[in-house]
Amino acid sequence: MKDFKVIEIKKSVYESNDKEAESLRQELKDQELFLLNLMSSPGSGKTSTVLRTIEALGEEMRIGVLEADLDSSVDAGTVAETGTKVIQLHSGGMCHLDALMTREGIEALGTEGLDLAILENIGNLICTAEYDTGAAKNAMILSVPEGHDKPLKYPIMFSMVDVLLVNKIDAMDFFDFDMSKLTEYVTRLNKDIKIIPISAKTGEGIDQWADWLRNEVKNWKQNK
Amino acid sequence: MHELGVVIDIVKKVENIARANSLTTIDTLVLQIGELSSMIPRYVESCYPAAVDGTMLEATNLRIEILPAAARCRKCSSVFNPLKHEDCCPHCSAKEADITAGREFMIKEIIAC
Ligand SMILES: Nc1nc2c(ncn2[C@@H]2O[C@H](COP(=O)(O)OP(=O)(O)OP(=O)(O)O)[C@@H](O)[C@H]2O)c(=O)[nH]1
Ligand SMILES: [Mg+2]
Ligand SMILES: [Zn+2]
Repeated sequence: MKDFKVIEIKKSVYESNDKEAESLRQELKDQELFLLNLMSSPGSGKTSTVLRTIEALGEEMRIGVLEADLDSSVDAGTVAETGTKVIQLHSGGMCHLDALMTREGIEALGTEGLDLAILENIGNLICTAEYDTGAAKNAMILSVPEGHDKPLKYPIMFSMVDVLLVNKIDAMDFFDFDMSKLTEYVTRLNKDIKIIPISAKTGEGIDQWADWLRNEVKNWKQNK
Repeated sequence: MHELGVVIDIVKKVENIARANSLTTIDTLVLQIGELSSMIPRYVESCYPAAVDGTMLEATNLRIEILPAAARCRKCSSVFNPLKHEDCCPHCSAKEADITAGREFMIKEIIAC
């Protein structure tokens, strides 16, 4: 009879990723590069918002984009047409990006002279929230057709992001989307969150989003 | 089902721990999963045989313990389970609360020699 014993491990599955993310964040801080992690369900408007962001801020700062689509490089192509530095990441079938994959992407992109890197995460509201990518700030997009009750279904995502973009507000009339209910649900989970309604289609609200981002990039560079 | 990749990663971690401790035979792996985690225990169990195939953990038992969710009321500071009280404090009925537990995914222990 073998002498089995209990060996206590007590280690979070996320621990090594959290450490990797923390060190990536510190390195990016030293290089004065602001990394934004942009998350949403599939089709909420991440790529459209990235394009609007480039349009709004591309003249005053140098922007790079990391695209993490599951299997296509359609999005990277669309962004590259704007003349922005863009790299396609491959997550190897995983449904989230971790800090190591993000680091590889950043290195492949090349950080020299960049002020802002935008990571278009994989379209998924579930586990992307559990993997710290090393980003300076986390943003998510909720689009009007998805409904105002999403925070009740995905509390973790809504409680960890710094800013929530409510996209496709041009389509508000076609859906029974209640902005005040959404605000109530979201602030219950996250009292510091900034909510910005936008339309990546018409450009409405993009100014406010660009202001928020400009300010965050500035703070990131100043508070070294 | 997004659990498989994560479980494969856990298996690698456990193998490393076993090697570092000169353990040769693992009988049971015990994981702890918070009630709010995106990792669903049922799915973790169902992909386990595929994840351990051909590893040191092949033929081991998997045991999963569930860790309850907890939230602290922002008004009266009492702690309650947000899943049982529908996000509303059972003491003062306030709706604003911060989640303090339930997101965990832990490798708790192994039974080995
Ligand atoms: N009406 C309307 N449509 C929009 C808006 N923003 C994006 N769309 C449309 O929504 C669809 C998806 O937009 P994308 O920007 O590709 O969304 P995404 O989140 O990058 O999608 P994935 O990368 O596939 O997850 C496209 O058909 C867009 O034209 C908006 O503000 N209003
Ligand atoms: Mg896209
Ligand atoms: Zn209370």
